[in-house]
Amino acid sequence: MALYEAVFIARQDLTNEDVDALTNKFCKIITDGKGKIVNKEYWGLRSLAVKINKNSRGHYVMINIDANYPAVAELKRVIAYTEDVVRSAVFLVDKHHEETSLFVSSTAKEFKPNYSAKKQQGKYDLILEQFQFDS
Amino acid sequence: MSIENNINPATENNEESYLKVSLVNQSVFIRKKKACPLKDIPLNEINYTNLKLLGKFLTERGKIIPSRITNVEIKKQRAIAKAIKRARQLGLISPIKKELN
Repeated sequence: MALYEAVFIARQDLTNEDVDALTNKFCKIITDGKGKIVNKEYWGLRSLAVKINKNSRGHYVMINIDANYPAVAELKRVIAYTEDVVRSAVFLVDKHHEETSLFVSSTAKEFKPNYSAKKQQGKYDLILEQFQFDS
Repeated sequence: MSIENNINPATENNEESYLKVSLVNQSVFIRKKKACPLKDIPLNEINYTNLKLLGKFLTERGKIIPSRITNVEIKKQRAIAKAIKRARQLGLISPIKKELN
């Protein structure tokens, strides 16, 4: 068993229920292949830095996976022909993160719009403010 | 006159300082090695979701700043480069920023 992080961007005109249905569909592929879903994260409807396939915004979803490669290969194949997914990536990692800095809610249904504004400062924010490189 | 006589023995023992000898001018410069700015931040923390950190290592045009300017140690510089490339692929960081004028 190996640890993977799968991230995909769903199209902007999907509703939150549609996004949840998509993630559940992808999670089922992993569980059918004798894998485990460690964690799910929804990063909200973010604006993309660059337009991808004429989309300027997208729903970001991350899934933490503990599975063998055949199940992950099947997931990649299914994502590739899903038209609602704009961009996706699967990364092999050494260790899963408890909560990433982009975290908004665990599912799209529980989405809170102003979560990131209320969020407390990160552990290392004070260190980061100190250095500034001029170029 | 040998160069070694000019070296202060106190700096020789200090691990953080090193000598830079210029043979052209026949003079000795003692320059302190700058510490890595990320020494308190674990390697695990440098990933593509940590956009606040990655933004510090980009120029105004969106290029990666080399480690000879930022003095980041080599393992962490590689992690930063990898994380920035992943974030660009996912549309979290723009690969290029054009000048306003």
